[in-house]
Amino acid sequence: MDWSVLWSNRDLYASGLWSTVELSAAAIAACTLLGLVIAAIRTSRIPVLAQLARCYLEVFRGTPLLVQMLFIYFGAAYLGIGNISVFGAALLALTLFQGAYVAEIFRSGIEAVPRGQWEAARVLGLSRVQTFGTVILPQTRAIVLPPLVGQYLSLVKDTSIAVVIGYAELLREGQAIVDRDGHPGMAYLAIAVLYFVICSPLSVVVRRMERKAVTA
Amino acid sequence: MITKSPMERTPPTTAQVALSGVHKRFGDLEVLKGVDIEVGSGEVVVLIGASGSGKSTLLRIMCDLERADRGEVWVNGVPLHDRRRAPEIFGHVGMVFQQFNLFPHRTALGNVTLALLKVRKISRKAADERGREALARVGLADKADAYPAQLSGGQQQRVAIARALAMDPAVMFFDEPTSALDPELVGEVTGVMRSLADEGMTMVVVTHEMRFARDTADHVVFMDGGVVLEQGTPERVFGSPAEARTQQFLHRVLDT
Repeated sequence: MDWSVLWSNRDLYASGLWSTVELSAAAIAACTLLGLVIAAIRTSRIPVLAQLARCYLEVFRGTPLLVQMLFIYFGAAYLGIGNISVFGAALLALTLFQGAYVAEIFRSGIEAVPRGQWEAARVLGLSRVQTFGTVILPQTRAIVLPPLVGQYLSLVKDTSIAVVIGYAELLREGQAIVDRDGHPGMAYLAIAVLYFVICSPLSVVVRRMERKAVTA
Repeated sequence: MITKSPMERTPPTTAQVALSGVHKRFGDLEVLKGVDIEVGSGEVVVLIGASGSGKSTLLRIMCDLERADRGEVWVNGVPLHDRRRAPEIFGHVGMVFQQFNLFPHRTALGNVTLALLKVRKISRKAADERGREALARVGLADKADAYPAQLSGGQQQRVAIARALAMDPAVMFFDEPTSALDPELVGEVTGVMRSLADEGMTMVVVTHEMRFARDTADHVVFMDGGVVLEQGTPERVFGSPAEARTQQFLHRVLDT
């Protein structure tokens, strides 16, 4: 084993790691927001909107992320989005794909809250939005958080798919290093370790929450 | 521009609650078949009747949790039969549910102050003050920081009453407020309701507590099969019920 190959390429690994973290963080924030909005629409049963939300879910859960990303990046011209950046396309695809799963997680949490909570808030004069934010959402926390963090974990790993449209994330940088210096075994091991480093804090959080949920 | 008849624009009476010709069906089931009820200011009206007689539905119509299919519903001067104006009622009436429906993630005080903060938009300090007053009225001043799960059923229901009271409601509705309670906890809740009645609160109560109906109601309404079969003072309805169905019902509930 020649460890020096890793060390001499530390800048590439670092910049790949940073790109992956950046994309992950942005996609986590965006898909959570999207998921919340879609879940709120789905549970509101507002006629046309609720059906549209359902269509969105079916489409984005029923097709591979890889295809979605390629379509968004290369199809952007057809769709009239014009010059979408590689980062923008990767972020959009990850957000739409993961947002569909996050929406279903939030929906199951929202539906677990008894209807009486909505009714009590309504008679007190709270608006639907106020009720959602101050009464319903806080009660979904225990149900929603563990699967939500699980979804974030899969999102972090899914960022590696952005390699196909040329986003210079961790895997891409790793491949560049292999092309130049060889030692693929070593390089890919290093990449796996770095993904693990990003994911493990999230895993620890989930485990702690699950333990809490059991004792609560 | 739609012109409205004078009947639709102003309440027909000075009563706090006035229902006329109220019909309601759920699918094939006709739950209310033309109900007229009036509740005057400061009056305590108790609705009694077998389960399925439509009394809970009637109460839910009075606070716009259900909407009547036909008929007029006036509560505190708001025409609930007018879809656009109906939401004006929210925040001005109190509803106490059988299952309490307290917000489990908020303390007793947090439950009582939520609508003061979000709907009345008063300061946190003023809300806490009013919230503590409301909790004191139901005898729970010392439980302000307890979460619902830490309270007994009777205490939870009293917090729910305080939550409604804090909004200074024009009318309080009670939907079987003691039905989910252990028998030994019923008294503390009916006790609070009795003191509200003594203070002059306008109340409409659906209950199976016949003792409460007998000694607190100004007016008892017996419902059967979606209509008001008989009504009057408690002395009249309990003492000399005119209808056979009323006699049967009272016989059954008073014997047990």
